[in-house]
Amino acid sequence: MSEAFHIVVCGSVAPDPLQTLEPVTTAAGPGLKNEMLLPHVLDPWAGHALYEAANLAKQAPGTRVWLVSVGPKAKLQQVMMTVAQKVPFELVAVDGSASGFADAHATAAALADAIGAIPGLDRSRLILSGGWESATRCSSVTLQLVGERLGIVDQFQGVDRLTIEAGGALRLTERIDGGRHQVSVVEGPPVVVGWATGYLPEPPNNPQVGMANMRAIMPALQKARPVPAAGGGAAFLRVEQPKQVRETRIVKDVPTEEIAREIVAWVRGA
Amino acid sequence: MEQVLVLLHTDETGGLPKAGLEAVAAGARMGAELGGAGFAVGIIGAGVQADANQLAGCGASRFLVADAPELAQSRYATDAAAAEAVARQAGATIILAPMTPRFARALPGLAHRLGGRVDTHITGLAAAGGTPVVTRWFYRQRIEGALQRTARPWIILLDPGAFPAWTGAAGTATAEAVPLAFGPALTRTTVAGIESPAAGQQTIRPDADLLFVAGAGWTKKQADGQPHPADAEAFILDFLRRSRASLGGSKSLVDLSGEGHAVLGFMTHMNQIGQTGATPRHPKGLATCCHGEEPHVVGWRFITERRAVNLDANCGWARGKADVLYVADAFAVMKRVNELLTDGN
Amino acid sequence: MDQQTPRQAMDVDIVCVGFGPAAAGFLATLGRAVTREDGTTAIESRVAPGMPLQVTCFERADDLGAGVSGIVTRARAIRETYPDLDSSQIPMAAAVTSERMVYLMDPVGASRRSYPLRIGDRLIKGLQSVLPVTHHGLELPFIPGFLKKENGLILSMGQFMQWVGGQVMASGAAQLWPGTPVAEALVEDGAVRGVRLMDQGTDRHGQPDAGYMPGMDVRAALTVVADGPVGAVGRQIDEQFGFPPGHHVRDWAVGMKMVVDLRENAGLEPGTVIHTFGFPEPEIFGFLYVNDTRTASLGVFVPSWFNSPVRTAYRYLQHWMLHPYLWRYLEGGRMRSWGAKSLQESGRRGEPYLAGPGYARIGEGSGSTNVLTGSGVDEAWCTGTVLAQAVVDLLAAGKPFSRENLDAAYVERRRRSWVEAEGRVAERARDGFHHGVVTGLLGMALAGLSGGRLFLPVEPRRPYERVRSAEAYFRGRIPASEIERLTRESGQTGQPLHDVLLDRAGWPAIPYDGALLVSHQDALLMGGKVQAASGYADHVTFVDEDLCRTCGSKLCIEICSGQALMPGPGGVPAFDREKCIHCGACYWNCVRPVGGDPDRTNLRFAAGSGGLHSTEN
Repeated sequence: MSEAFHIVVCGSVAPDPLQTLEPVTTAAGPGLKNEMLLPHVLDPWAGHALYEAANLAKQAPGTRVWLVSVGPKAKLQQVMMTVAQKVPFELVAVDGSASGFADAHATAAALADAIGAIPGLDRSRLILSGGWESATRCSSVTLQLVGERLGIVDQFQGVDRLTIEAGGALRLTERIDGGRHQVSVVEGPPVVVGWATGYLPEPPNNPQVGMANMRAIMPALQKARPVPAAGGGAAFLRVEQPKQVRETRIVKDVPTEEIAREIVAWVRGA
Repeated sequence: MEQVLVLLHTDETGGLPKAGLEAVAAGARMGAELGGAGFAVGIIGAGVQADANQLAGCGASRFLVADAPELAQSRYATDAAAAEAVARQAGATIILAPMTPRFARALPGLAHRLGGRVDTHITGLAAAGGTPVVTRWFYRQRIEGALQRTARPWIILLDPGAFPAWTGAAGTATAEAVPLAFGPALTRTTVAGIESPAAGQQTIRPDADLLFVAGAGWTKKQADGQPHPADAEAFILDFLRRSRASLGGSKSLVDLSGEGHAVLGFMTHMNQIGQTGATPRHPKGLATCCHGEEPHVVGWRFITERRAVNLDANCGWARGKADVLYVADAFAVMKRVNELLTDGN
Repeated sequence: MDQQTPRQAMDVDIVCVGFGPAAAGFLATLGRAVTREDGTTAIESRVAPGMPLQVTCFERADDLGAGVSGIVTRARAIRETYPDLDSSQIPMAAAVTSERMVYLMDPVGASRRSYPLRIGDRLIKGLQSVLPVTHHGLELPFIPGFLKKENGLILSMGQFMQWVGGQVMASGAAQLWPGTPVAEALVEDGAVRGVRLMDQGTDRHGQPDAGYMPGMDVRAALTVVADGPVGAVGRQIDEQFGFPPGHHVRDWAVGMKMVVDLRENAGLEPGTVIHTFGFPEPEIFGFLYVNDTRTASLGVFVPSWFNSPVRTAYRYLQHWMLHPYLWRYLEGGRMRSWGAKSLQESGRRGEPYLAGPGYARIGEGSGSTNVLTGSGVDEAWCTGTVLAQAVVDLLAAGKPFSRENLDAAYVERRRRSWVEAEGRVAERARDGFHHGVVTGLLGMALAGLSGGRLFLPVEPRRPYERVRSAEAYFRGRIPASEIERLTRESGQTGQPLHDVLLDRAGWPAIPYDGALLVSHQDALLMGGKVQAASGYADHVTFVDEDLCRTCGSKLCIEICSGQALMPGPGGVPAFDREKCIHCGACYWNCVRPVGGDPDRTNLRFAAGSGGLHSTEN
């Protein structure tokens, strides 16, 4: 039987993918128009990390799973109504910004502080995980920074598979170029694991899991400490939506033969 | 005065990845634009002299090499330690590096160790007022921003394919060795190998001219009320073979696991474009049987010419997302396209 | 594929179906009684001793308040619950500053107006110089008292429900679970014992597939049915326990709405309330509420007494926006959100049994909507607070939730409330519309001004009894011989029949601008952000497909707000649940009764997962 892990998943909220996003300038720098009105979801990469964590927990009984989340408290609460139904976990909430324009270094500091304050966290069993990037900032930086602050030098990004080997070693596959994966073996925790999508399907909604989770999630949300917006980050010179309107030529009621020839000419062309 | 360092690593062949040469060209330009600060080159790997020689004519004032057998492996602990040693020896204030998987993993950690800042996925680089200005995308390629930092050192990771590669004659480079010491704490991880998709299933081709996206429509019931997964598979794979295109898929196709739709066996999460998938760079893209909704199309940000084939004249592609929409049956069109394309193009 | 997964069960004290204003009022009120201000428990759970009362609420939409609409309300009951409510606390809320009622005339010439209306139009045009007519709209010089929104609030329902949801969750009084459709109530030995959730991980026919998980049974001593006018659990309860004699729901409307980002200097003051009637067809009412200088909530209502066999909402919504009276404000605007829902327009006449063994009904599905004043949100909220008070009393007295006890504690209280009193006034106010628009308006005026004592005695017919043939409906506009040809054309080209016929009847093509005037599918994606998770069964099905094959009407396809119902093989409509916005209009538009019951039609509308994903509505 495997040794139990302490899995800390870092992840926040992101606007639901079908929403219209428009940049605006605020006193604190760039932001999204009506950001607080947009429905949010758990960042999809972080979601994969959370489900993988739950899956690992099933294989190593005694494993504890935390979700540490820096985001606006109201949005975290809304998102928990769905996420809490997915898999068992404990929530550590920090009331801050989930904006894609927020500085990764500031977010990492807030995460590291919150993780350091988790009572009973055992570094020797720690798997620090999360999505390899967020759907907001998309920088693929935060986990490494948190890992450094916690002194973890065995780090993996773009992970699709993690298996527990005999003796407690961990085998991981990371995405590299051209659809390939690099396979590495590490002697054991502490490790940092930035997940890509993995291969697990999204778990169904389970109100029983939700109710059990909610008992601790509600107090955790109420206890969420605010972190001030950090200064000293980047100075934005320009933030804009690309003008992406092409003049689409619609080819209708044209024989297949003609269409095929046109496509072939285009594919072959310079 | 800024100290520009172009940081590189060797790949599994021992040579420099193309993205590294892009960083070299960018570094040379940056060195010139920042008031003639010049630049240094740092290379991490095992048996690196040949790589330094390849860059001998690039204009770098120094070549620092971190050369150790441990660095043959793409591994965070040793890469970060080596990068730190190189950066400190170079006294770097601006560090340009290619955002290869190896450096994407390790260099953000380097920023913390040097007390600096890091920005990644950089698609544009310029200088203003003696400081670099970087351009990058936010919210999955929906919003573009240009930013500057005063904090130093500033690590800038360049998106592969976004910048022209340096080309030039090889020569002899005078390499400065960077002393390294790797304790056992840095080698708890070992690389066991590379997993490739089965030969014949290699459908992702980053250097292809054309991205071919197959959407969920390929697996749905056709005009005769039946799905035709065998035909779909044949037409798609045949087209990939003949055109050497790279294959992409929509999230809905990749996620399908039943629901009465046959799934295309060769399509995996790795092929997904947009949403939680990739945003590859190709000069052309052809979308077939795909709605063209926004979360998928954000993955098309770096596809220059776009065409789509879809029976629905009101699909997303029609609304300014494609240059041409062919309202037609993709099965019939691709069958004929394959016939017209001879092997080897 | 794990078909061995057992069905889970859990026990709570109270389970609610649906989180709308009724459930919100219920939970907000109940919550305050369960937990004291100092955090200690006042009402203990019966199923988890030592814990506070366990109350859980299941909402099928993926988010609280996804998919409802801008409203204007007097907010009397809401303000009783939240006395310090001020509009700046809730995004998109505004205090009412002015009200207008406008009769829109027809500048296009395609509207089907009755003879009396045409006379009226001619008179108005003749007297334009002395009447308040502008941009083809006659602004009524006064608004009858029963229609005025005194001290009113304009609210985005979505934002309001999110705000209340946050309050309820934070208080710990109840747990809210969006994205969790309820399949049915659990009925055992003639009593409701809780609910069963929808199975997950099935194919579209409901058969177990990858990741199969049978829907959990949530057992509770009290089931609060708050699932709205087209809620499946409400309908199941009606079938199980019957409908009160003389009561029926024969009046409906589908309200289709948008939130629009207005151009700069559109000229509308925040807090403006505009109600319209007369265009694009006399039966279609419209609304426009101004949330702030750059935002407006607007829409139209397409009612069941609009007899067109190709009645539809989206096309008419676009023509309505293009009316010069409105277009002067809306031109240059951009669609921000879009959606639709069914409204129960029978009001108190459509009231079911309000309580029974183990269950109680609140909200629009319980007939609380006032069809004279056209308001429902505050009324629904009030029924929720009334039920909460009753529940607290029964729990304190240790009495079970039997029909008798609920009748005494809840129904009696409700009968003494203003919802009841005003509902009685409104009860027959709309019946005149079954005769015609002018009669309808006269009937409303009569009822309103006489406090309900006077009304036009017209017996409402069932929706399908009113639908006319296309030949009859378009007589005078389209020759009967052409109808057949046009119908065939529509079948061949795939263009919706209503578009083909409306085009021929003289309605101009919509000038798409890609921002506010967009295709129907664009509205679904740009405005509604419509999507549905996989792994659920189709929630729109047909009882007897042979009836569809022989159905000449296919009104369900015409009225479908999302074009989720489309012509299918053999004449059975094909349903795409990824486009469905759960408005339920298909349910009351089906023209084929089934099973020997004239009030049951062939289309089954269950609670499904997914739909609209915008709370800016």
